Amino acid sequence: MTRSTAMARGRQSLSRFSEYSWAGLLLIILLLVVIMSVVSDSFLSDFNIFVVLRSVATAVLIGSAQMAVLSIGQMNLSVGAIGGLAAITAGGIMDAYGLPVWLAIIGGLACGAAAGALNGIIVARTGLNAFIVTIATASVFLGLNLGLTSAQPFYDLDPNFTSFGQARFGFFPVMGFITVATMIALAVFYYRTLVGRQLLAVGGNLSAAQTAGIPVGRRVVWAHILSGLLAGGAGMLWASQLGAAQPMIGQSWLLVSFAVPIIGGVALTGGSVRIIGLFLAALIIALINNMLVHLGIDPVYVELLLGLLILGTVWASHVATRSEETKRSLR
Amino acid sequence: MTTETTADKAAMNGRPNGVMLEATGIGKAFPGVQALDDVSLSLKSGEIHALVGENGAGKSTLIKIITGLYRQDVGTLRMGGEVVEFNNPRSSIEAGIAAVPQERSLIPEFSVGENILIERMPLRGSVFVDYDTINREAARWLEVMELDIPVTRRAARLSAAEMQLVEIVRALALESRVLLLDEPTASITPHEAAHLFEVLRSLRDRGVAVLVVTHKLEEVFELCDRVTVLRDGKNVASGEPLDGLTRDQLVAWMIGRTQLIAELPERPPRGEQAALTLRDFDTVDGVEGVNLEVFPGEIVGLYGLVGAGRTELAHAVIGASEITGGEIMVGGRKANIRSVAQALSRYRIGYVSEDRKNDGLILSKDIVFNVSVTLWRWLAKWVVGWVPDSAERELAKRHAEALDVRTPSLEQTVGNLSGGNQQKVSIAKWLAADADILIIDEPTIGIDIKTKDALHELIWALAGSGKAILLISSDMPEMVRLADRILVMKGGHLVAEMENSRRYDEISEEIMKELA
Repeated sequence: MTRSTAMARGRQSLSRFSEYSWAGLLLIILLLVVIMSVVSDSFLSDFNIFVVLRSVATAVLIGSAQMAVLSIGQMNLSVGAIGGLAAITAGGIMDAYGLPVWLAIIGGLACGAAAGALNGIIVARTGLNAFIVTIATASVFLGLNLGLTSAQPFYDLDPNFTSFGQARFGFFPVMGFITVATMIALAVFYYRTLVGRQLLAVGGNLSAAQTAGIPVGRRVVWAHILSGLLAGGAGMLWASQLGAAQPMIGQSWLLVSFAVPIIGGVALTGGSVRIIGLFLAALIIALINNMLVHLGIDPVYVELLLGLLILGTVWASHVATRSEETKRSLR
Repeated sequence: MTTETTADKAAMNGRPNGVMLEATGIGKAFPGVQALDDVSLSLKSGEIHALVGENGAGKSTLIKIITGLYRQDVGTLRMGGEVVEFNNPRSSIEAGIAAVPQERSLIPEFSVGENILIERMPLRGSVFVDYDTINREAARWLEVMELDIPVTRRAARLSAAEMQLVEIVRALALESRVLLLDEPTASITPHEAAHLFEVLRSLRDRGVAVLVVTHKLEEVFELCDRVTVLRDGKNVASGEPLDGLTRDQLVAWMIGRTQLIAELPERPPRGEQAALTLRDFDTVDGVEGVNLEVFPGEIVGLYGLVGAGRTELAHAVIGASEITGGEIMVGGRKANIRSVAQALSRYRIGYVSEDRKNDGLILSKDIVFNVSVTLWRWLAKWVVGWVPDSAERELAKRHAEALDVRTPSLEQTVGNLSGGNQQKVSIAKWLAADADILIIDEPTIGIDIKTKDALHELIWALAGSGKAILLISSDMPEMVRLADRILVMKGGHLVAEMENSRRYDEISEEIMKELA
């Protein structure tokens, strides 16, 4: 690499950094941490930090599954259903068939990818809106899940699998490594590989991508497969954390799956991904959740408050990162 | 110049002055319309060929067939004598055809370099994008066009002119045997256009076949060697040499009769009290210290190049973007315009957008809907929240007729109207809303000669009826024809104000001097 191109690249990443301001998100995080460490003694304990970071680890994966489809300007309402299906697939392989854990993981990922492929193929072939397609397939996947399991969880999982969900180095959850590694791979994929760039091109300007000769249909399928894979991974982490492959895994993911990428700065219109933003957004949501627990909020109100706080955060991050373009657009 | 490789390739692949791309007997029908009927186009290597015709004549359809976006119903395409079938844009690119489409075709989040090389991203290990090569290659092509745009800048941050130039660079970088340009000079400066023409001529001299689609006849005569004219989906002329052809003949081919530019009638003198006054007007997006007045019954022209801040000024006046300094007065009273809705309802200011497809019209809806959209608030007053259908229709009918919108019915979907008629609907909308002050932004961009004339008469008549009109245009003949006074804008500032003598040469020279 010559010096000038190295400098050019330096400038490029610098400008990429400056164009998206994380300051707002960091400020919110700081605020939450300061408040909580004053209010609660146990907040800064190793175990509590572990709990928070572990939920960050899954929330980032769930958010990235949504982001994969947002990147092409579509939505995936079946992220949770795919996660649940992958979790019980992995659980079933271990419990019902007694096969080793690595096979279970491959099975779970394959199931997620297959479910995503189904979404993608339907969307690409029929031209139907992904929103409605994935609402329908979400119901199909959940139905399949309940039919296969008779709504009963798989409890008899490999001890290595369940202990993984509890394992930690001090305050750092071991499953966090999986999330970090996956996100690094995702960043490389989107910023450095041809297929990743083409996905962003499809999301950024569909007709331009088409005229540039990018195989749009195949890229749509790719995005959904990627989404399914990530959702499947999230489902298995969730099962490992619960210690059981619950059929209802994923049923509470819808809000998180959108809140994480949106707070993280991913455009709903497509064409952009934000990896670090995912982590910060997931951390905010985890902190809000944790805060509600520590303040002893009646569980009856947790859902209400969580919804309001996430709404507030989405709005705050929108204001903080409002770009020139949105300022200029017609109200 | 670095286009040598292009030359070598072209020289190898095409016999000089041999037919490079040939379309024969092309027919294409859409539901209810025969868009193209037995159309032929023969493009030789080493020529610049103009494709002209009115809106709706079938130029875009033909271009889309050549670039693989549409498939013809009948007829054949040949490249270098061999029959080719384009099932998708990729196959057209691979056959050696590069195109600059009319639509914005950059990926906003990508860098300039990546956009330029998007069709064939250089790879490392067939998986990873090779940014070093991208930046180097793209920089080389930007240099060919003498453009000083950093290769790493995101496309979303470019000005409209820069975007168009980058799109042209991208097509050049394909080093194709055939280069198609659809309205390439629509948003670039005369200086940039002149340079583009130089580059195109040098490509021609190296054997590339260049096809230019344009509405600007001056460009046809200045740049092109031969011309193909379409009218109502049929060939009127196919590959006629431009040498010796007169402008009148060309126009007659295009519109089917000789063009009569109507004399614009006298207008009553302008009103006494300024309708719109701006004092030391600053906006958030770079307009600074603008002072201007528009009187009732007057057309004030705001001339400038794309990116001079004219549209930004208009947006701020109608409350669509933030004003950071100075004041607006409407009818002599200080106005505090906070939203587009308020600009219309309280101050009677209407804005006919330059971007009728995105800002101006709802293409999927019919004429009635589009005309009455600004009025719902008013109509709905009668019965709380309910918009009476008959009232809506009545208003739409009155204004569509007044503006002579050519349509089979008022229920016609606006997206199916021609560009000129869309523009009329866009204006009708504000007339229906009874705006006293109209800001009209680039009313005739991409509009054919016949309709352009009709729109000019319309704007003239509106001023005659007492409307105060601020006309934004980069079209010098239009400016000289319509405006009473001309304000020149550059880099967010007003740099000159002049009475319009309506003597074209004198005024255009004076304006260009201000812009230099």
